[in-house]
Amino acid sequence: MLELLQYPFMVRGAVAVALAAVVLGTLSHVVVARRLAFFSTTVGQAAMTGVSVGVLLGEPLNTPWASIIGVCLLVALGLVYLRRRATLPHDALVGVFLALTLGVGVCLLVAVTKRFNIHALEAVMFGSVLTVTAADNWLLAGVGLSALITVALLYNRLMLQSVDGSLGRAQFGEQPQVEYVFMVVLTLALIVSTKVMGALMVEAMVLLPAVTARQWGRKLSTLVLLSIAVAVFSGEAGLLLSAAVHVPSGAAIVLMLSACFLGALVLRPRQQMPTKHYGS
Amino acid sequence: MRQPGLRVGGLTVGAVLRGVDLTVERGQIHALRGPNGAGKSTLLSAVLGEIPFEGTVCRAAGRVGYVPQRFTADAALPWTVRDFLALARSSRPAFLGTSSSVKAHIDAMLAAVGLGDAADKPLGGLSGGELKRLLFAHAVDPLPALLLLDEPAAGLDAVSTERLYMQLTALKAQGCAILLVSHDPLEVADQVTQLREGRVVA
Repeated sequence: MLELLQYPFMVRGAVAVALAAVVLGTLSHVVVARRLAFFSTTVGQAAMTGVSVGVLLGEPLNTPWASIIGVCLLVALGLVYLRRRATLPHDALVGVFLALTLGVGVCLLVAVTKRFNIHALEAVMFGSVLTVTAADNWLLAGVGLSALITVALLYNRLMLQSVDGSLGRAQFGEQPQVEYVFMVVLTLALIVSTKVMGALMVEAMVLLPAVTARQWGRKLSTLVLLSIAVAVFSGEAGLLLSAAVHVPSGAAIVLMLSACFLGALVLRPRQQMPTKHYGS
Repeated sequence: MRQPGLRVGGLTVGAVLRGVDLTVERGQIHALRGPNGAGKSTLLSAVLGEIPFEGTVCRAAGRVGYVPQRFTADAALPWTVRDFLALARSSRPAFLGTSSSVKAHIDAMLAAVGLGDAADKPLGGLSGGELKRLLFAHAVDPLPALLLLDEPAAGLDAVSTERLYMQLTALKAQGCAILLVSHDPLEVADQVTQLREGRVVA
């Protein structure tokens, strides 16, 4: 199977998978801590809507970055803005946006497919790592590195807020910009990974690595290293599976991530950490 | 004349708090007492800026330490006690580990509240009393200008309660303004405000 790496498109694909895996694998434990799994799904669906908008506006079908970024950031920032003001529970609000992005996306897709064959959009929806260009990889590397540096700078504040909002507020004061910046960074990291994972499945790469690593990690440093290892292994194994059996890369990577999760669940050490509460 | 640690004027939060006035001087322990539903925890939430309110809340410049009444040590991630304390004390992202100086500082903080051997324990594995002591250690380091405590002695054994009161007295001597919510009679309190149905009654 390794002879596939003789082909330049496979090498570019392997690099793209490694970059997306390191970035999203690192971010995954922050996503789990901040309960942003459904938010990530929403951004993926908004990316699909963004592609349709881009095509309708005349952007090229395979790289409508301006529209994807525009729509996704609009959704992400709108969600944070409303979450900070609405009294609705977070998951209910995300659910509203999830339904909205899907509804708008489907309507626009129908409009778009009057101009193109719907199969042309499969790469965006399900991932097509073998069509990744060198420019895509540079974009992935640039956005990914910026995302990791930004999160490293905000990390302790983000995580203390995640442990307990009141403690974070008492320690660092009211800092809405920290949440806005993180959401923008996460959104951009998800968008540039859609070519690898597909808009509909990109959420898996930012959720499953951490929940898999959680079965074994006993402190933050181990958790992050294991998350990256799970993401890179599943990504590269999924790439080979995708090339071997001709299925979309996003789906193949999700299968490998899920296999790792189930394996870790079955083989996890017996001792589990309970959730403790105090107070009435 | 020095500004007080906290001055609350005409604080109103819906029907829960109705025109509460309260001043906590620096170097003073001020106890807030009252039956369930009197608005004690709501007052702390307003001071922390967590809920909208009418009236004025003036806090002295400087750090605010806070020990919440309720705390959930989330089991979604494998936090250790050291990971948790490092978040507010290390410039390095906590997942990259802690420097030897931060590590020593955290060990000293934990020893001061009788948790000297807990640094590498999972946060979710601590008992309710241990969590309270950990949160107290977090709240008072570095020295806050204002310390807010919501039922800090609930769930503590007699030895830990005694140590808590001694530490509060030491913090008071260092000029910290302390506002604590408690159901218990407090010998350490310099002033007591009694709340009932959102109003100051004594």
